[in-house]
Amino acid sequence: MPVYTVSHVQNIRICVIMVGLPARGKSFISQKIVRYLSWLSIKAKCFNVGNYRRQAASHPTADFFDSQNEDGLKIREEAATAAVNDMMKWFNSEDGVVAILDATNTTRQRRDWLLRLCRENSIEPMFLESWCNDEKIIMKNIVDVKTTSPDYEGLDPDTAASDFMKRIDKYQEIYEPLTIEQDGDLTFVKLINVSDQVIINRIETYLESRIVYYVMNLHIRPRCIYLSRHGESMYNLEGKIGGDADLSERGFKYAQKLPELVKQAAGDQVDNLTVWTSTLIRTQQTAQFLQQDKLQWKALDELDAGACDGLTYEEIEKQFPQDFKERDENKYEYRYRGGESYRDVVIRLEPIIMELERQENILIITHQAVLRCIYAYFMNVPQEESPWMSIPLHTLIKLEPRAYQTIVQRIKADIPAVSTYKEKGTSQLGESHASGNSSKNLITGAPIDKKDG
Amino acid sequence: MIQPPKYPGNYSARKQKRWSQGSRNSQSSGQIRTDAVHSRLQPNHIFPAQLYSTESGRLFHAGKVLICLVGLPARGKTRLSVSLTRYLRWLGVKTHTFHVSDYRRAKYANFEDDIPDDYFRAEPTSEEGVRMRQSILQDCLDDMLGFFEKDKGQVAVYDALNVLKKDRELVQELFSKNHIKVLFIESIVDDPSVINRNVQNAAASPDYEGWDPAKARKDYLKRINANAPIYQPMNEDGDESHLRYIKFINFGERLITNNSQYGYLVNRIVFFLMNSRIKTGCVYFARCGKSDLDKYVDDEVLNEEGLQFSETLANKLLDTIAKRKKGSPVPVSLNASSGSSTDTLEKHAFRQPPTADGTNDDSFVVWTATRKRTSATADPFRRRGITVRERYQLNQLNPGEIADLTLEEVKQRFPDEWAQDQDDPYHHRYPRAESFHDLAVRMEPLLLEMERMSGDMLIIAHESALAVLYGYLMACSCYEIPSLQFPRDELVEISYSPYENHARRININD
Repeated sequence: MPVYTVSHVQNIRICVIMVGLPARGKSFISQKIVRYLSWLSIKAKCFNVGNYRRQAASHPTADFFDSQNEDGLKIREEAATAAVNDMMKWFNSEDGVVAILDATNTTRQRRDWLLRLCRENSIEPMFLESWCNDEKIIMKNIVDVKTTSPDYEGLDPDTAASDFMKRIDKYQEIYEPLTIEQDGDLTFVKLINVSDQVIINRIETYLESRIVYYVMNLHIRPRCIYLSRHGESMYNLEGKIGGDADLSERGFKYAQKLPELVKQAAGDQVDNLTVWTSTLIRTQQTAQFLQQDKLQWKALDELDAGACDGLTYEEIEKQFPQDFKERDENKYEYRYRGGESYRDVVIRLEPIIMELERQENILIITHQAVLRCIYAYFMNVPQEESPWMSIPLHTLIKLEPRAYQTIVQRIKADIPAVSTYKEKGTSQLGESHASGNSSKNLITGAPIDKKDG
Repeated sequence: MIQPPKYPGNYSARKQKRWSQGSRNSQSSGQIRTDAVHSRLQPNHIFPAQLYSTESGRLFHAGKVLICLVGLPARGKTRLSVSLTRYLRWLGVKTHTFHVSDYRRAKYANFEDDIPDDYFRAEPTSEEGVRMRQSILQDCLDDMLGFFEKDKGQVAVYDALNVLKKDRELVQELFSKNHIKVLFIESIVDDPSVINRNVQNAAASPDYEGWDPAKARKDYLKRINANAPIYQPMNEDGDESHLRYIKFINFGERLITNNSQYGYLVNRIVFFLMNSRIKTGCVYFARCGKSDLDKYVDDEVLNEEGLQFSETLANKLLDTIAKRKKGSPVPVSLNASSGSSTDTLEKHAFRQPPTADGTNDDSFVVWTATRKRTSATADPFRRRGITVRERYQLNQLNPGEIADLTLEEVKQRFPDEWAQDQDDPYHHRYPRAESFHDLAVRMEPLLLEMERMSGDMLIIAHESALAVLYGYLMACSCYEIPSLQFPRDELVEISYSPYENHARRININD
């Protein structure tokens, strides 16, 4: 039986039905929820009706969205049906837990149809409406959409913006927002101007409350997150895992250089930054020359290797051959004797992720396994891949979360260090160039920018 | 002799290791203990799960907040203020509840003889009533201001009617002037069965000690009826939209927040409110059975004695629950959710029966840690078809390098660490180990899931994990938590009431 991080998940299927005019941040919220839940091993997927519609109408103008345009209406209804059919298939054949239906769903008629379908299939619908009349927020979203939406590919931005605003008006004509009077029996959340006012109605399960809490903690202010492993440690030199060793001479050099790297990466935000470290000596030594405020988190300590702590991979292979094999076969689930698995680390990192969503500029100095987990959250890396990512020493990673993607930048310190990367099926460290394993290159290779939906 | 710390909070706990021997108190079986959620906080009080604090002892990103409750009598304001205080204190926010009714009782012991009837109206009609009401409210307000100024408090919870707009205006003005943010939480209940239950609870409050229950109920209804006609719900006329408030409707059925942009505390409070349920069941704590060598690193299975223990435990617990529920309208059911299915053609018109754990009053769920012998201790429950959930967060405190060492070996091999642990067993961390504080932070996500469970639950875990959860439910200080003891042959029962929780120890072999 799988161990879920949120116990109430058993027997629950939830469909989060987004509601709201275009440019209300629905896709942003949808993708964030999927990423957060997937990271917690709760099976989640986003179904974006726009993507289905684009198959029949790839570059429609505003008139296409007029409620009187019968051809347009037909295509849009077919797209919605196709998306919902795929969603139902996903629930049933892939044991889905939380689906997000990312569409405008602005009419009560459409919502009633979805409600009926969900209930007939024993899926709890949860409506999530983003309602906004703050021009500043809307304009910001419009800028995002007109520059990133495939609908306006290759179009002059001003033309795109004016067409997009016309499209919004078309939706506005038929928009019926959720109200307590008429929808009081439904499970719904209504965000008014992001969170000026929030209405939370009939939340029935812990999982739903968790989604709401997460959404309430999201913000769209610009900020960056910086990630770094500690400098090379004495254990790294000896090829040992775990322990609480001091930095090596080269590791110390990295610590000395780190303030300069941070300044280079953060620019004028360099003083507006908080440093988080683990409680282990090597991360604190790495942070010692940074002048910013520092915070220690036990939750950022390295994955506990239990009985294998302080051994080299060769020693582990000799002393615990069965364990060594099992770990290679399923690295995410394997729990060291008396220690932790990657899944365990993700559970203890959850409060860190929630806090990171709320915070602005943060530099995290931590360890290989922990960094893999945090990176996997921001970059949507699947569980099968994340434990195998290569994250080199003496490199500062800058993550810049944007509405639809996270931009990654790597800044190398140019201080040599050993490789601590172990490929599958060997106890030797270092990266073989012949390897066909693409996932390990997620960080050393070209930055990926993943987009869902 | 313990030196008073220079700064309160975990900050100084880490800087100035200290420990009070006197606070180590053991408990004997059968004794009922009341939780400490109403205790006055000492200036050097340290909170179990405080993540970090500044030199002032406050969470730096939260500021000072007055939580002002609003609502008619029998709307669960007292229960709400107490459970919020317990949760916020746990998170490391220096919080204290100020019940106006406590002030009134302290001043006038017998309300029937000493106080005119109209005192209980938000706007008394007699001169004497007005004078008394004003002086009692003033004492309470003064104490709250003092709590912020002198006791370095961060959150005060003001448990009073505040049903009139002008009362709220006064509070807003008074505290804003002192740079304290005000968050109103209005409890609105329109479900008659909930009101009825609250009236029953109120009739058993200290005000009605020794009263005939029917007479007490009648008297309490008078208080409601005096205020219902003059009640002005928050922002009813749209002229209170500048205030920061949360409307809490039918105990979480609906929540409306106003003006709450990204406040850490407000978000936390909303998350808590979404999950806070009226509890009819109890939480039970039990240890796991024994294994042969009792080694940490090996993760052993139960031995013969352990298997026997698991049977005894299951029998005793089910027997205890059955006895407790005898005569109560809630039947004993052994399911996690016990919802009946609504089998009808017009399915979509109805909500699904709740399928989540613990949603019903008669539900029962067992949680265990993921270690083998702990999980196996729950096998007799599994065999009876009872839901058992393994929770990683419930695993015991990681002993690090002192794992499986005897006390003598620890003293010998880690003399300095041993001495530090004696100074501050809550925050001290042996090499590579977790401290109790680390454990409390790790277990925090479980608390709200517990809050959500209406029915009974049993938690089988190591003594260290039980101590932390007990610490939350009973509002223990972190001086106490490391020394709490949970012998194998005792079952601990924690029961809820609006004003405070109670703990009882039950010998499983009796």
